[in-house]
Amino acid sequence: MTTAILIVHGLVAVALLGAITHQSLATCAPSNAKPSSFFGRFRAVPAERFANAIIVLYLTSALLGAVVYLYFKMDIQPDLERDRHWHAMGFLDLKEDFVAVGLGVLPAYWVCWRGPADSQHKHIRTILTILLAFIVWWSFLVGHVLNDIRGFGS
Amino acid sequence: MSASPVRRFVFAFGAAFALFYAITRARGLALFTVYPAQGIVLLGTHRSREFADPVLDFLAPEMYWYGWTASAAVGALVVGVVAALLPERLSWVWAWCVWTVPPMAMLACVYLTMPWFRL
Repeated sequence: MTTAILIVHGLVAVALLGAITHQSLATCAPSNAKPSSFFGRFRAVPAERFANAIIVLYLTSALLGAVVYLYFKMDIQPDLERDRHWHAMGFLDLKEDFVAVGLGVLPAYWVCWRGPADSQHKHIRTILTILLAFIVWWSFLVGHVLNDIRGFGS
Repeated sequence: MSASPVRRFVFAFGAAFALFYAITRARGLALFTVYPAQGIVLLGTHRSREFADPVLDFLAPEMYWYGWTASAAVGALVVGVVAALLPERLSWVWAWCVWTVPPMAMLACVYLTMPWFRL
């Protein structure tokens, strides 16, 4: 059961990663009318249409991660501590902290992406989008490394 | 710039949540403590070593993250409601805090995590 939840958590995280990366690039570096390159097409998406999906995916991923974390604490963490994977523990602590901060800014992010924004709110939503993108990328990479830790670097 | 009460609430909530999370993390002020191995939840912050020998700590690992998040959410909820009730002319404070406080709270969390990297 835990493995199934972990796999679903990973799949949701992949979808979230794609959505937030699309939105971040579309927000920070909007493409011209007819993008020709792959990178141009990647960022030529209507960024506002990703907001609701990102919120649902973030909440789903956080919820599944919170469930998996219970099993991690009981079954995996003692092994990591025994094997002295202190850096991995530190990175995981940062992941849980960043995810919590992300949960807190999610309502503000949602409001910023609702409807047309004035210049100040455009500035706020750009920063919140980048912040969430950083949190999602950090969480994805740390989760991936921890998932594979027994084979990682060996 | 006009800011609706909802906008003031969410901006204040986002900033206060990050701030309170960093404070609860630093001071260990979890609203509740989860013991997954025993399947119990205790109100407040508890440590296994307060009840058992520290060498047996691994038998009852405690989890604070849920409690820290809940503490921060409760505190942020109060600040958000107050911000929504305050005059609109103060809305620039919340609009400024919502993008400055969370990154600073994340940096505080990095500082609090440093002991792991010194082991």
